[in-house]
Amino acid sequence: MTAGLVDFEITWKENIYAGAPPESNAEDYGTLGINFHARKPVNEAEWTAALQALSCDAPQAWAEVN
Amino acid sequence: MSEVAPRAEKVELAELRDAIRAEYGAVAIDPEAGYHFNAGRELPATLGYKREWLDGIPEESIAALVGTGNPFALGALKPGENVIDMGCGGGIDSLIAAKMVCPTGKVIGVDMIPEMLDRARAAAVKTGLSNVEFIDGVAESLPVPDGWADVVISNGVLNLLPDKVAGIQDMYRALKPTGRLQIADITVSRAVPDAAKLDLDLWTG
Repeated sequence: MTAGLVDFEITWKENIYAGAPPESNAEDYGTLGINFHARKPVNEAEWTAALQALSCDAPQAWAEVN
Repeated sequence: MSEVAPRAEKVELAELRDAIRAEYGAVAIDPEAGYHFNAGRELPATLGYKREWLDGIPEESIAALVGTGNPFALGALKPGENVIDMGCGGGIDSLIAAKMVCPTGKVIGVDMIPEMLDRARAAAVKTGLSNVEFIDGVAESLPVPDGWADVVISNGVLNLLPDKVAGIQDMYRALKPTGRLQIADITVSRAVPDAAKLDLDLWTG
């Protein structure tokens, strides 16, 4: 949302470092590979509606991200 | 008494980029050498790439994949779409995308590692695809006009940016309204200490 995008979703997570030589750094931080998508809203109204549906801190106005 | 220089609070961007160029330039030269991450010919299958996507993709592109996921699992790219591959490496994802969006769609692969761009360009020539171009550039300043792209894909690159918001903001700039991000990257479940964030080896591998 900070960057002005909507419909963010992580659709996949997996330990892609299994078998990598060596694994220790990745395992130290619980590193996982992920796929995610997001979308640029069609207009400010869509972004504002998505913002209002959030329950966490985010920019308060379209102008803050544009 | 001599003054002690203040400790750096964050990694220097130029230094980090040099370290990334060195590490991934080595991957471009010898993908099978062994690194702190998976790379090489077996990786696409591990990440769920469909066999038909790889048809016609030269081995030199497939072998140089150091991705962390599968941008194409997030949705099909459609004929006619304009696509940016941010951090294209040896070109595998750009070339797959070019096949999906041809003949009228276009793909621009962007990377800052000369050895990877060389590999990608050579592979593109072999495919005969005319709707793909590889450009030397950085993620925070993609070499396209505002609103050019239908889709931005990226695979294992966003985590290499010290300012990830800046990278995503430029993807936003490059996207058309309703344009999509389809990104593969990494996440951590335990906080990385501030001191570790200054370790270039942890950034690059």
